[in-house]
Amino acid sequence: MATVSVPRAHWSGRRSTLASIRLAVLTFLADPQWLIPSMIAPIVFGFVSFELFLGTPDLVVYVILGAGMMSMWGQTLYGSGWATGQDRNIGTLEPTLSAPTPYVFVVLGRILWNVVSGLIGIVLVFVVVVVATGTVPSIDNPVAFVVLFVFTMLTLAAVGTVFAAAYVYTRYAGFVQNVGEFAFYIGTGCMFPIVILPFWTNPIALLFPPSWALDALRYASIPGYVGFSWGLGWDIVGGVATTAIYLLIAGIVFKRVERHVLEVGNLQEY
Amino acid sequence: MSSVPAIEARGITRVFQSRKGFFYQDVTRTEALRGVDLTIETGEIFGLLGPNGAGKTTLTKILTTLLLPTSGTARVLGLDVTKDTERLRARIGLVLGGERGLYNRISARENLRYFADLYGVPLAEREKRVNEVLEWVGLTWAADRRTEEYSRGMKQKLHIARGILHRPEVLFLDEPTIGLDPKSARETRKLIRSLLGEGVTIFLTTHYMFEAEELCHRIGVLSRGRLAAVDTVAGLRDLVGGDRTIEAEDYGFEDSELAAVRHLPGVSKVVSEEYGPVTRLTIRVRTGDLTIDTVRQNLIGHGGLQVRERRTSLEDVYLDLVEEEAR
Repeated sequence: MATVSVPRAHWSGRRSTLASIRLAVLTFLADPQWLIPSMIAPIVFGFVSFELFLGTPDLVVYVILGAGMMSMWGQTLYGSGWATGQDRNIGTLEPTLSAPTPYVFVVLGRILWNVVSGLIGIVLVFVVVVVATGTVPSIDNPVAFVVLFVFTMLTLAAVGTVFAAAYVYTRYAGFVQNVGEFAFYIGTGCMFPIVILPFWTNPIALLFPPSWALDALRYASIPGYVGFSWGLGWDIVGGVATTAIYLLIAGIVFKRVERHVLEVGNLQEY
Repeated sequence: MSSVPAIEARGITRVFQSRKGFFYQDVTRTEALRGVDLTIETGEIFGLLGPNGAGKTTLTKILTTLLLPTSGTARVLGLDVTKDTERLRARIGLVLGGERGLYNRISARENLRYFADLYGVPLAEREKRVNEVLEWVGLTWAADRRTEEYSRGMKQKLHIARGILHRPEVLFLDEPTIGLDPKSARETRKLIRSLLGEGVTIFLTTHYMFEAEELCHRIGVLSRGRLAAVDTVAGLRDLVGGDRTIEAEDYGFEDSELAAVRHLPGVSKVVSEEYGPVTRLTIRVRTGDLTIDTVRQNLIGHGGLQVRERRTSLEDVYLDLVEEEAR
């Protein structure tokens, strides 16, 4: 019998991540339901934040950060995990895992796209708030703001990766995420600074990288902001450390999860 | 020709555990595979037959690295399915088929581009290869349509196109024609057969006897997690007692008549089955000169007796083996 003689294909993490981004964009464009979380929800969040912070100095910055971050949080976390859940639902998880590329690169592509689509929300909130209030917000330290904004996105992506692993692990991950979503919104300070919550909630919030990053972001953008008593520098250190821990956990968890699903054989369950 | 078998499995078992109850306290164990040994040579089309729940899909998933065996070893293209997964996945293709398993909101072309990237099909060749496989499965005309608009048959073809996109050396097809209309099923079988010309080893599971008979060099019959037999169709016929079958029907037969037929020269097996008031004797004939007339002479006195002869079908073989395993 003849044997096949063809150049062997070699997967690449970068190419697989780009392919995943491309697929996420195509799916996004093909499905109008995404308009709700990416464009309509941020505006609703904006109005809620506006009412919440009415009478606060730097109201506009609070509203933009609060609503924008809620949108980013939802898009990044919910979107990343949900997409993996969808892979289960439509039966694409098995063919995707049967490819040589580690699944984590597929997840990474989705998270990066979700971060970008979350940005659409924050821009929308910015436009709506500026038009509604007639005020262009002044940022205390614009350079630090941009750097910390990107950093905040990274912290969200780190948490999103762990959530996506949970979706590969079990079809019930969506239940946990749905229950926890609003608690996370509030507990990590997306909507308002967590220092105004009872003190006992703070240690829990600090287990999540975005809590640190969001506090740092507020330090950089709101003059006279009082967040965690240790200040901006330690916020950054805490954010970097917890993000590194989350990425490490995600790396380990993904390897274990991929092995686990092959052991229990639940890839086809949805 | 490679000296390494395309597929080699030794003592494969797989136990599934499911939990029920409020605290998941009730554990049920199901033995899906019980010591499967199998060797498939390069360039072969191997068919795996078996009833629902026999373990066909479980074995396919183990061989394609999507499931770990509970015990036993399996190598595909010489690579361990539990350890060399990354290297192996690049060299094999899997077609699970069905309505699911595709990104329905995007086009067939985009589905294929995505998987070409995940499989690392060289970027310079990607478009050419996507076009080639679309043409090969006859979907060029619908390449840019969303797959949600595809019929079941078109989806099946797209599954096959995806399976061969990266030029796998071994292709696994799990019930590739199930649920297809006869025309689509025939086209799919034609596609599968033409893969042989490309030098691809094919592992196929199916419910359809004629499909296995038409396509496969060798056939394995899996029953209750065990391989009841592996052979060519002719070999399997021999195994169950010959390639000729004589059927005699009437309203009941005496035990003495059955005994007489059983002792006729060349008869290897006689099975009596009731169909309402009618009894059918299925007489497996190994070789020799036994004719319909000889059988008729031994069942004399049956006014409504009907006797006919046919070639032992793969379905006969399959049913014999599955029933034997069940006993």
